[in-house]
Amino acid sequence: MRAGIFALALAGLAASATAASATDIAVLTAFQSSVTTNQMINVFEAKAKEAGWNTTVVDTRGDMGQLASRIEDVVAAKTGAIVLVSVDPKLIQDQVNAAAAAGIPVIAIDGATAPGVVLNVTSDNFELGTKLSDFLFEKLGHKGNIVKYYYSAHPGVHQRELALDEALKKNPDIKVIADHYMVVPGPIDDARKTTEDLLKSKGDEIDAIWAAWDEPAIGAQLAIEADKPDSKIIIAGIDGNPQAIELIKACSHIKGTVSQDFDAMAGLAADGLTKILAGTKPEKPELYAPAKLITPESLGVTCP
Amino acid sequence: MILLRRYGTLLALALIIVIFAIASPHAFGTVANLVNITQQMALLAIVAIGATLVMVLGEFDLSVSSVVSWAGIASVALFGTGLGLPAVIALVLVSSLLMGSISGFLVARFSVPSFIATLAFGTVIGGFTFWVSNGATLFSGIPPAFRDLGRGMILGIPVPTLWLAGVAVIFWLLLDQTEFGRRLYAIGGNREAARLVGLPVRRDMVVAFALCAGLSGLAGLLLTARLGSAHPTGGGGYLLQAYAAVFLGMTAFREGEPSIPGTLVGAAIIAVISNGLTILGVPSFLQDVMTGAIILAAVLIRHFGRDGD
Repeated sequence: MRAGIFALALAGLAASATAASATDIAVLTAFQSSVTTNQMINVFEAKAKEAGWNTTVVDTRGDMGQLASRIEDVVAAKTGAIVLVSVDPKLIQDQVNAAAAAGIPVIAIDGATAPGVVLNVTSDNFELGTKLSDFLFEKLGHKGNIVKYYYSAHPGVHQRELALDEALKKNPDIKVIADHYMVVPGPIDDARKTTEDLLKSKGDEIDAIWAAWDEPAIGAQLAIEADKPDSKIIIAGIDGNPQAIELIKACSHIKGTVSQDFDAMAGLAADGLTKILAGTKPEKPELYAPAKLITPESLGVTCP
Repeated sequence: MILLRRYGTLLALALIIVIFAIASPHAFGTVANLVNITQQMALLAIVAIGATLVMVLGEFDLSVSSVVSWAGIASVALFGTGLGLPAVIALVLVSSLLMGSISGFLVARFSVPSFIATLAFGTVIGGFTFWVSNGATLFSGIPPAFRDLGRGMILGIPVPTLWLAGVAVIFWLLLDQTEFGRRLYAIGGNREAARLVGLPVRRDMVVAFALCAGLSGLAGLLLTARLGSAHPTGGGGYLLQAYAAVFLGMTAFREGEPSIPGTLVGAAIIAVISNGLTILGVPSFLQDVMTGAIILAAVLIRHFGRDGD
């Protein structure tokens, strides 16, 4: 009976192995549950299909040890290239080095530059954080109390936090009266619960919520909509998440998002990889995709 | 037939290896990759060996993943204070043993269900770990000598594999060849009877929980050495997989009893499946489905096997 059940499981393996025999691009991440990471992966896969590559996506759900192991696996499988999405290659430097030593090009999307990484395509996260902070502080008239939702473990998101710190130095009348390190996966629910609690404890003091990306902003909006819909609290985030844009259009408390062009990021990465596979070295080790501020005004909406 | 019943899980591991080797002879089937698998399973197996000790008692320690994360963050934070390598390792291991002792004490002294006690205490450890790290991934100031504890090779064998071999031998001897080990099995078999015949039930339970956490702490140190960084939730992936390894192992040798060789087989199955499926390009979600299905199958087989006895 044991052999029968294992045989059944392995039959599936054999079927998928056949389909996977031509795989030559390994896409690895630890954060595929993030809407934007998933979006980049989807766009990259579409571009890869156009380019005639076969991609395999591996998600280790926040587990960097597993990610290191899976990179070792694809290096052993002599994959054509490794694409790291939303991961800082420095945190798995030995494995990146091993890939580079095996002659496998490693590129990063929304990651960071590191030894062994041929190309990183990202947004200038510090600039994103500066744009978000400047927008929010402008809306507050450079005076008021904010709540900060952050996540230092992601290298790009951490840069936004550093940009906020810089902006706060220039705006001494803006005070951070509460902050919260987001739970990932599950940032929307986490932000919703945290905001509910903060509304109870400091609801009258909060003027704005600074969200390091849009998912916490959405969670905060859900809480305010349920518990304090008439409040004047302003929320802003980063990413241009479609749900956040819809909420901006609907004149919710979310008044802005600094949009990262994830499609462009994935496209630039695919273009870069095409050149790398053709033997051409990228002109620069890091490329920036453009970013823009989305507000009700930019969407042509007039809110009361 | 008896062989198949007795060693079915071990044969299944061999069968999986053979099938992967046939499907991918130039990647999976290489000696280098098989050696690599032993490295990849090492940390999971060390955590799972700790879990085995507690499972022998018929208890669970759900704080193992929190202790792994704690050990990683604590080590990098302590390096930041200027402490030397031996002091950091000693402090981290002692703190891990202490954490396990507290869990064990709660379970043994106050009869708090281990599921609840360790879940709650694990949450405390997790919060403390976040507080120490401020939520960030720590990687500054790790000395090269520390990194060497979790990477590289000695005589062609990966260093983590050597750690696993050492831990496995020590704890196999402890469980199978010492009076302490036999006492643990006796307590797990019938705690009241063990108490009535005068066995130091509480003390042994505290020691077992402490050793379990100590091994999680060791795995956390080795994980940090391997990656060169520590994440406050870095151990998160070990909890379910460690118990899956123990459960798989319970079907491997002794009918329904946790054992060190069984746990090694369980950890090997999990590592081989992950490695093989990744090499074959199977999407990670399908890997989860297959890994979960195989574990479920093994547990069901144990259940039906027992019914048939």
